[in-house]
Amino acid sequence: MTTATTALQPDTRAETLVGAYERAGYRRVAPPILQPAEPFLDLSGEDIRKRIYLTADADGRELCLRPDLTIPVSRDYLASPAAGSSQGFCYLGPVYRDRGVLPAEIVQAGIESFGRSDKAAADAEMLALGLDATAHYGIAEPEIRMGDVGLFASLVAALDLAPAWKRRLVKDFNRKTSLAHDLDVLTLHTAQNKPEYQGVLAALERSDPKAAHALVTDLLSIAGINTVGGRTVGEIAERFLEQAALGAATTLPRETRSLIEKFLAIAGDPDEAAAELRALAASAGLKIESALDLFESRAGFLAARGVDVSRIRFSTAYGRGLDYYTGFVFELHDPSAAPNGPLVAGGRYDELLGRLGAKSPIPAVGFAVWIERVAGGGGQS
Amino acid sequence: MSAPLIVAVPSKGRLQENTEAFFGRAGLQLVKPRGARDYRGAMADLPGVEVAYLSAGEIADALAQGTVHLGITGEDLLRETIADMAKRVVVIEGLGFGFANVVVAVPQAWIDVRSMADLDDVATAFRLRHDRKMRVATKYVNLTRDFFSRFGIVDYRIVESSGATEGAPAAGSAELIVDITTTGSTLAANGLKIVDEGTILRSQASLVAARGAAWGDAEREIARRILDRIAAQARARACREVRTRFPGCDEAMLSQAKERFGVVAPFGGPTSSGMLTLHCPPAAVYDLASFMRERGAQSIVVAAIDYVFAPDNPLYARLIAGL
Repeated sequence: MTTATTALQPDTRAETLVGAYERAGYRRVAPPILQPAEPFLDLSGEDIRKRIYLTADADGRELCLRPDLTIPVSRDYLASPAAGSSQGFCYLGPVYRDRGVLPAEIVQAGIESFGRSDKAAADAEMLALGLDATAHYGIAEPEIRMGDVGLFASLVAALDLAPAWKRRLVKDFNRKTSLAHDLDVLTLHTAQNKPEYQGVLAALERSDPKAAHALVTDLLSIAGINTVGGRTVGEIAERFLEQAALGAATTLPRETRSLIEKFLAIAGDPDEAAAELRALAASAGLKIESALDLFESRAGFLAARGVDVSRIRFSTAYGRGLDYYTGFVFELHDPSAAPNGPLVAGGRYDELLGRLGAKSPIPAVGFAVWIERVAGGGGQS
Repeated sequence: MSAPLIVAVPSKGRLQENTEAFFGRAGLQLVKPRGARDYRGAMADLPGVEVAYLSAGEIADALAQGTVHLGITGEDLLRETIADMAKRVVVIEGLGFGFANVVVAVPQAWIDVRSMADLDDVATAFRLRHDRKMRVATKYVNLTRDFFSRFGIVDYRIVESSGATEGAPAAGSAELIVDITTTGSTLAANGLKIVDEGTILRSQASLVAARGAAWGDAEREIARRILDRIAAQARARACREVRTRFPGCDEAMLSQAKERFGVVAPFGGPTSSGMLTLHCPPAAVYDLASFMRERGAQSIVVAAIDYVFAPDNPLYARLIAGL
């Protein structure tokens, strides 16, 4: 029943949508469909190998059919003389993902906005332009889901926890469907697996950190070990000593855990959520003002753009499950249709351009519209 | 004549020797009528079988595609090569050779890494510090990806390696490896250690059937005969035949022997003159002999046997159930 729309058949409705994005100041681009596979594998993880169409050129370099347009548009921008300056791009074209029985070719329209330092305003503009897309296709009141990865990151940064715990919590926020369950696993797991050198670690924990570091480094050096498998002796020593810190508190402190759970339970419209977050931060003495300020400022810009903020379903636990988002994330869903993935989805990815080789940090935000879904064509995720 | 039943066997090394010995024990001699260099052979005394000599990796592919009916290859290669393994092949039996584990191994100098949870943490820390992901050298791309995913490890890249994988960390082309090991001595020689809970798979050479092959009545019949001989031989190998005759040999003694030594009496209980044949697990033979001598046996003869044919054929039953 599903017919694949190809880039060769102009879709006038989608063209009109992208035309509107062009008039709003976004330059239309069309990166090559065949892309080097490396950046996708590097940024999206090895798991994506299962879902992308890989091939190789005569020199053995891995190529793939682009599984999204964010990375290709980002790379072209970085390679251009405009790299680093504030630039906005829009696109319309196919992406390719192995989805089992569903068609592999998916047509997406979308926007990527680079280099804008007015982050709250840029975030709000993305959601507003996303809503223009659903309105353009006659979906009057899509469900708006919103999250802010930056809030959780600032919570973790503000907590009094060992670096290893912080890394784990941030990584797993993006990964796991249920962080509550994940906290259980982490707590139990560490309790059961005491480090091999528990006694030594406990002794080292009470010693001068610099001296302990020097001791471990020396011991490894005596064994003739310098750099092994890309990790330096200093790096190994450092994490070995971090385990000493973890060893002192082999389980996540109860009050910390309950604080994280309270934090992640906060949901509602952005105004309600902001009030609850401020109250929680005040009672726990958490310094997360700058993330909260950004959050409230964004809500203000959304209202100024005519978005009914009370319709937004915000949750602190919502993260879209993708590594490269660093702040605002959102999805639009059709409330009247069977759940089959978002109509529009996007967010902020301030670290992506750095990981693609940008010399200095470049803020970035964008979204993609699933054309078959908004057009009601039956394309499913 | 109808199309032959194709049996794929490893074309070189220890795996080939062990496979030939395995079929040989079952009275199925692999022959190459057109000379030793030929990659097609047959089974002596069993017409209708074609033996295809392939590399262990090719055998896994051929089984997945259904271009051969039966094959012998390592379970590691099956699981790595065939994504939807249960749909494509039936593992009939592990053969008790070609044992090897697929493991995650890191440099011994990583004293801060013991468990997979440590590795997860190191992977993330590595990315944050070096602005690139930790590299895992392996030929087991799929096994590695699934295993790492189970532990929530995301910050890594796979570097495909087809030989001397264990040298990759020392050579600087990867940080750690996923590779096959039998004793762990090669890993140790390369300054590597196995991570706790890092054993992805305990593998052995296995007899496997391809579900996608053409399984007509003729093919099934030939497979039944092959598997019947293998099963008969396996049954025979699992026991020794013990024969004796003495007056005290009665039903009471027999039931006691069954209980204590796990023996079976293939031809029924003792005759009126006290003659009895038993099949006894090899490890219990001496204890059984002592037990019977205490009860008056003068002479007990123990022999290894070649085949024990029985009405049932568990290997063939497994094949048919799986197809």
